[in-house]
Amino acid sequence: MVLLDIKNLTLEIDISGGWVKALDKINMVIHEGQIHALVGESGSGKSLIVKAIVGALPNRWRITADRMTWKGQNLLTMSVKARRKIIRKDISVIFQNPINSLDPLLTLGQQLKEMLAADKLTKTWFWQRNAEKQELAIKLLHKVGIKNHQLCLKSYPHQIANDVVQKFMIAMALASEPKLIIADDPTKGMEVTSKTQILKLLSRVNQVKSMSVLFVSHDLLAISNMASYMTVLYCGQTVESGDLQQLRKRAFHPYTQALLDSAPSFRKDLPPKSLLSSLDGTIPTLHHLPIGCRLGPRCPRARRECVVIPQIRRVHTHFYSCHFPLHWDAK
Amino acid sequence: MANVLLRYTNLVFVTLFILSLLSFILAYLFPGQAVENLTGLRLNELSVLQNSELKYAVDDNVVVQYWHYMGELFAGNWGVSFSSGLPLYDDVGHYLPASIELSAYALFLSFVIGLPLGFLAALRHHKLTDYSLLSVSLVGYSIPVFWLALIMILVFSLQLGWFPLSGRISLLFEIPSITGFILIDILLSDSIDKQAALIDALRHLILPTLSIAVVTTTLILRITRRSVIETLNSEFILAAYARGLTPRQVLMRHGVRNALIPILPLLAMQFPTLLTNAMIVESIFSWPGIGNWLIQAIYQQDYPAIRAGMLAVSVLVVIFTMSIDLTIRLTDPTRRRAERAAI
Amino acid sequence: MPQSSLYQEEHHPSPLQFTWMEFKNNHIAVAGLFCFAFFLIITIFCPLLAPFDPNMQQIGDLLIPPSWYPNGGISHLFGTDALGRDLLSRIIYGCRMTFGISLLLVMVAMLLGVGLGALAGMSTGFRSSFLNHTLDSIQAIPTLLIAIIIIAILGPGLVNSMWAIALALIPQFVHQTRDFIRHELSKEYIMAAKLDGASKTHIFAHSILPNMGEMLVVQGTLALSVSILDISALGFLKLGAQAPSSELGAMLLEGIEVAYIAPWTIAVPGGALFIMIISINLVGDGLRSALRNRLLH
Repeated sequence: MVLLDIKNLTLEIDISGGWVKALDKINMVIHEGQIHALVGESGSGKSLIVKAIVGALPNRWRITADRMTWKGQNLLTMSVKARRKIIRKDISVIFQNPINSLDPLLTLGQQLKEMLAADKLTKTWFWQRNAEKQELAIKLLHKVGIKNHQLCLKSYPHQIANDVVQKFMIAMALASEPKLIIADDPTKGMEVTSKTQILKLLSRVNQVKSMSVLFVSHDLLAISNMASYMTVLYCGQTVESGDLQQLRKRAFHPYTQALLDSAPSFRKDLPPKSLLSSLDGTIPTLHHLPIGCRLGPRCPRARRECVVIPQIRRVHTHFYSCHFPLHWDAK
Repeated sequence: MANVLLRYTNLVFVTLFILSLLSFILAYLFPGQAVENLTGLRLNELSVLQNSELKYAVDDNVVVQYWHYMGELFAGNWGVSFSSGLPLYDDVGHYLPASIELSAYALFLSFVIGLPLGFLAALRHHKLTDYSLLSVSLVGYSIPVFWLALIMILVFSLQLGWFPLSGRISLLFEIPSITGFILIDILLSDSIDKQAALIDALRHLILPTLSIAVVTTTLILRITRRSVIETLNSEFILAAYARGLTPRQVLMRHGVRNALIPILPLLAMQFPTLLTNAMIVESIFSWPGIGNWLIQAIYQQDYPAIRAGMLAVSVLVVIFTMSIDLTIRLTDPTRRRAERAAI
Repeated sequence: MPQSSLYQEEHHPSPLQFTWMEFKNNHIAVAGLFCFAFFLIITIFCPLLAPFDPNMQQIGDLLIPPSWYPNGGISHLFGTDALGRDLLSRIIYGCRMTFGISLLLVMVAMLLGVGLGALAGMSTGFRSSFLNHTLDSIQAIPTLLIAIIIIAILGPGLVNSMWAIALALIPQFVHQTRDFIRHELSKEYIMAAKLDGASKTHIFAHSILPNMGEMLVVQGTLALSVSILDISALGFLKLGAQAPSSELGAMLLEGIEVAYIAPWTIAVPGGALFIMIISINLVGDGLRSALRNRLLH
């Protein structure tokens, strides 16, 4: 079942001088039970997509889309209240820098209990409710792997280590039993051991409770172990999206290929002491966006036709938008 | 927590010590004989008393004199005034509560009006309400306090005749001063028509309180507004919205506390400024408070009175500020250093 | 912004230019700036602008109403006071006194305060913690109170009140400078300079001082408005400028006696004070917003 269906989402902002498209005709489809990875360099607009889905964009941005639906309901036209209700019930978001997402003046326990929905509780009396909330909180903490729940619930955010707080954020995300967990680069700046713990947790959650996960990151290694489907984003445009194994075996878009090449462990045939391959140049800033395919200036295969935005083509579930995709060379 | 308390008591003692030292030194800095300034008695009178009770040794060295001075202070003998000859301790005890009362009411009024309006302005940021409140507050804290008081007298007392011009209560009422706070004294005394006395006292209170409160209200409004705006833009509020909380829940549960706690010391600092403005307003309204008394003492060059008044006011200000700082430091879990919020 | 120019040259304004651009967009602040410049011009060109001698008493022209009253004339635009002195000239001279003296005092206090604060900020150890404590406790006492204390010692008078206010303004500057220096010293670019071998004075003069400029300007505007209020308050309380001098606070005090029949004697000096302070506050506000918003570019 399709949970989130985004088609041709465009986000524009008014910089002095004109409207600039930070996101240009994005397409993304998330199915139930899928771990969907959203990959792109920093500056490609990944966090913007998350904010657009949740509805947390400031008013300066202008959103237009052909279709942006959640389980069939149009997210763009519904009232703020209805949207908030959907978000509260079905979607949870985990941010980078988990300590910044918590109220510094409340204990962790208080904030967790705030997220426990009232209709899940069965008892009716005040003190019984509190006890039940406490029980549920402890259960959630154990589920995410926090053993020392006493200390955790009593402390303030700045007193707890970063990775434990991130697990706590996952616990808070699970509290409302959502259908989709959006993880916006949750392991940023973490050391490898904590990173693997968080990723294992997310994949376990996905398997056991069949919750979809939208994992936004630029860490290909982490993603390749977890995700089943990948969407590649470059500078506000979706360049390719498809099944992860297929993409690894055979990428269609030059950018995806370059991305996969740049991670050394993805290539088996790297000769020793050879240069690591990377794409020249950097991502363009909002002030100097190229027309047409935004990879144009950097792409080694670019030609005159690339000043026109390429159409989306597909091969089974593998979507790509390029004028000169890689698999055409093989023909 | 114990060592925070210890550090603070230490700080308070050191500051009080410095203040007492300063007031002692003032006696030497004022023109005239130091001993005269300390006691209020002229030299010829002093030599008469030398044998009997007065412990100040005129010819002893400075440190001994300071020791005696501190002893006298704690004993309640603050000397007598040059001009009236009355004991200073009684005078200060009489006039200080009047000023405190006026300042306290003005402070209360400022908080009650300033805080909610600050929140309102921040919630309607960049809209008409915000801009109009900002302009009003700018006008408010740019007005010189004495000019405002004069205009209020002109309009409300002289032209419209709604409120009386000066004093604390009409001379018709005789209120025995028990606590020094007139409204409480009226309620405590039982010899007169309480309601009429209360109304009369309130009518006398309104104009001075309003003149002082305007400046402080606008400052509180600005400080609160700035803090709320910064809080509402911070990450965890956005994360709370992303979790699906309504704006009302976010504001009530997270916004208010996080906005108010950093600015509490700044808000508490409004009290000394308010007290100073109160001193000016007292002299305009002939309000029998310590400000008026002090200023009259300066005109009459009544040095013992100035010294005692200074000591009283500075000690009050310092103790108030420090105790607020201490309370905040003890109750806030995330406190590191004092933050200076912006206006 | 999406460039429409033919060449690829980038125009990167400096932070100062950004601040000025932001400030310019705030029309009210620019109006305040114009007012401020207006007062500055009055202060400098005062003798050329005043129509009459401010101390010349014309006995025949007592309490003439200003020109907007039905029985006022234009020879005395703002009317005259109880002693027959032309109010317009008095106000012009008064503005010069109040505004000019305040500017002078703020500059003196800034120099001294920044110097002391720099010493306090760059030193470490027991000396600094003692200074910190004293400064923190002085910080709590309002400037007018300190000024009154100093006047009580020195006696009333204009010069004494100038000393008093200058001394009362210094603690604020010292405190802000010291806080700022403390904050900057913990940053990494200072550490880099230290590792490069820079001495303390070099760090202060080349790394910290240029960054202090904005903070000083904002503090300076605050101190200016405080100093104007305090000087006129002291003049009003007869503790500062004394009677025949045309300081705005003293004029307000004289006007009280005849206020009921001649309200302009308190409306006009007070209004001049009010506009002075508003313009400074507008400029200060505009500066603060501009400094805060320039990072949005």
